[in-house]
This record gives sequence, C-alpha cells and structure tokens, in this order.
Amino acid sequence: MTLFAALASVVFGAMAKDTNRERLLYGLKVFAEFMVIGLVLGWILYFIP
Amino acid sequence: MQAEEVEPAPGSAWFIGAAAWFVPGLGHLLLQRWWRAALMGGAVWVCFFVGMAMGGHLFDLNAEGSSVLLQVPPMIANLGTGVLYVVSWLLDYGFADDPAQAARATYEYGNTFLLIAGLLNYLTMLDAFDIAAGRKP
Repeated sequence: MTLFAALASVVFGAMAKDTNRERLLYGLKVFAEFMVIGLVLGWILYFIP
Repeated sequence: MQAEEVEPAPGSAWFIGAAAWFVPGLGHLLLQRWWRAALMGGAVWVCFFVGMAMGGHLFDLNAEGSSVLLQVPPMIANLGTGVLYVVSWLLDYGFADDPAQAARATYEYGNTFLLIAGLLNYLTMLDAFDIAAGRKP
C-alpha cells in the first residue's frame, strides 16, 4: 500500500500545480491521504465480518 | 453566451501523445522534460514490474460467454502500459488463468499494480500531450 501510494502520488504530484514546491507539497499531501484513508478503511473492514 | 474557442493541437502533439502511451516516459523525453520523464515514466515501469513480480494477471478478451464484456474495462486499463502490454501479450506472459498463481497472497495486489500502471500512463500521456500542445508550461 505504501509503494502504491508513493508511485501514484509521484505521478499526481508531477502533473499538478505550477511550481516545484507546490508539486512536492501536493505529492506529499496525496501520499498522506492515500495512507490515512487506506488505514482507516482497513480498520473499518477489520470489524465487519 | 459563446463557447470558448480551443486551438487545435498540432500534429506533433498527437505524435508525442502516441509515443508517451507506447513507451511510458518517452513523451516527456522527446519534450526534454527529463525529470518528469524519470518520475512519471519511472513510476509506470516500476508499477508494472512490481505487479508482475507479485504474480498479477493481465486481462485480454480470452473469456467465454458474457464475461468477455467484464474483461473490457480492466483490459483498457492494462493497455495503458503500451509496449509493456504488447510485449507481454506477444510472449503470452501474465495472461494465463493459473489457479496456483491466483492462490498467491500477492495476486490481487499484483492485479491492482498492473491496472494502476496503465491508468497512470494514461495520465502521463495526457500530460505530455498538453505540454506538446502548449496548453501547459
């Protein structure tokens, strides 16, 4: 999941925004979102039989 | 209210777009966007080979009955990897329905990586096209 999040956020970050700083921040934000949402969904599904 | 006029893309932009689809990263290389080529193209290549190493399955239209239609969306996603898909298809590598392969713990992860590799390359292709058409700096 971490590798997937990293690869996807690299592409999303490289595509978006105008400056390198904005791209880096956007990529990090997307990466964090993938990780947090993945972990939250994982725990929700863990409790669903 | 008038619709905004959009300038037609030059032929070279279509060529760059096709090259970007066929070889992940090539579109940005032709545009001399080295970092973008390395990051975006590299992500697609890594995603594809990680998916293969995990025992992922590539989709084609080799299915019976109405399930052929179900193969079309993932096949379109897989096709996004361009030459990687074509070479795998020519070598018949990654397409077999092997129960032992499907039983691997990483099988579904591999499938997802292979699908995402293609979808990421479609994004990369559109980015290269937009740059070549002058719609993006």
